[in-house]
Amino acid sequence: MAAQFHLEIITPTKVYDEGEVDYLRAPGVDGAFGVLAGHTESIMALAIGEIKVVKGSVEKSYASTKGFAEITRNGVQLLVESAEPQGDIDLNRAQEAFDRAKAHLNQKQDEMEDELRALRALERSMNRLKVAEKK
Amino acid sequence: MANLKDIRKRIGTIESIKQVTRAMKLVAAAKLRRAQINMEQARPYAGRIHGVLNHLLPDIDRTSHNLLTMRPAQQKAFVILTSDRGLCGSFNTNILRQAENIINAAGKENSKLICIGRKGYEYFGKRGYDVVEHYADFWNELNFSHATTMARAVTSRYLAGEFDDVRVIFNEFKNVAQQEIVEYHYLPLVLEDDAESVSTDYLFEPSKDEVVKSLVPRHLNIQMWRFLLESNAAEQAARMTSMEAATNNAGDLIDSLRLEYNKARQAAITTEILEVVSGAEALVE
Repeated sequence: MAAQFHLEIITPTKVYDEGEVDYLRAPGVDGAFGVLAGHTESIMALAIGEIKVVKGSVEKSYASTKGFAEITRNGVQLLVESAEPQGDIDLNRAQEAFDRAKAHLNQKQDEMEDELRALRALERSMNRLKVAEKK
Repeated sequence: MANLKDIRKRIGTIESIKQVTRAMKLVAAAKLRRAQINMEQARPYAGRIHGVLNHLLPDIDRTSHNLLTMRPAQQKAFVILTSDRGLCGSFNTNILRQAENIINAAGKENSKLICIGRKGYEYFGKRGYDVVEHYADFWNELNFSHATTMARAVTSRYLAGEFDDVRVIFNEFKNVAQQEIVEYHYLPLVLEDDAESVSTDYLFEPSKDEVVKSLVPRHLNIQMWRFLLESNAAEQAARMTSMEAATNNAGDLIDSLRLEYNKARQAAITTEILEVVSGAEALVE
């Protein structure tokens, strides 16, 4: 049995306490990274993406948005603005957001700010859809 | 002597007012409970972000981050949180009065206002203040995305150079019977030193600067969220207390009207008996 570490996913509206886990894969800004027990203490910025948690033979996925990971000797805390467990993702809402963002991008927007926002919304909704549709 | 029918009618009216205020009190109490749960849940996230930022900021060159750079404050902005609806005692009156004093001290011409909640918008809009943005009708379905929208609006105006200094004025929830008006320095970002400092030597990925760059907007979002939650809880608490007082007052009023009613009724009976007796006596003679 490999060493385990404590994992918490903390959002402004909810704390998901995962307990002792074996492995974590998180979406860093420069690409996904894996964490095992005994990882160097570090703080990493996170991008929009999928958080994968492995506990024994159980695998869990979350769709998350920006935030950061704090890795200490006592465990890992992921601080993200939103995280939804795979089963809780509202597919219809994500699809709607996806369509809206896409439509928004298609009608030529001259405002930079708007375009950035639509891009980010697109990214978030695509991520939700991707995580939800994975087996 | 007031007539019986009028008094009965008044009692009926006050009874129904009392029912309304009691219902409002119960609704406010339920909303307050929900607001407090939200506050409870936001705390760990806010605390950690604050802690890490606090740890990082001393090592960071402030001038390399737009949101951290101190600039001479020529144009100021004030974010004022009020409620959409009244019937919450002096909740709005107090904060509006105090905000107006603060703004006038800073100079009305050099101040831009962002009003969150309808009451503030109505108040300052009528008085010729420069309200650049306002939000209303969201308190009932308050969620985190409101906070990010507002934080983003304020930050992008700040970055565009519309103002150099942002203060947030809101009601902080102390306890059910007490709110405190707080003025918070929102931008540029300054942190009080009261947070637990993190002493661990971390490895920063991709770099300290990058982490700060992504942390600062998170921090601003969660702070805005905190202001909204505090103000919401304070509003519901204020409404609860004032509706409780209104219910009690209505009860007192009903009691005194009932006394008056009974007195009037007895007076009427006495007069009637008097008439009967004097009529009977007249017949005897």
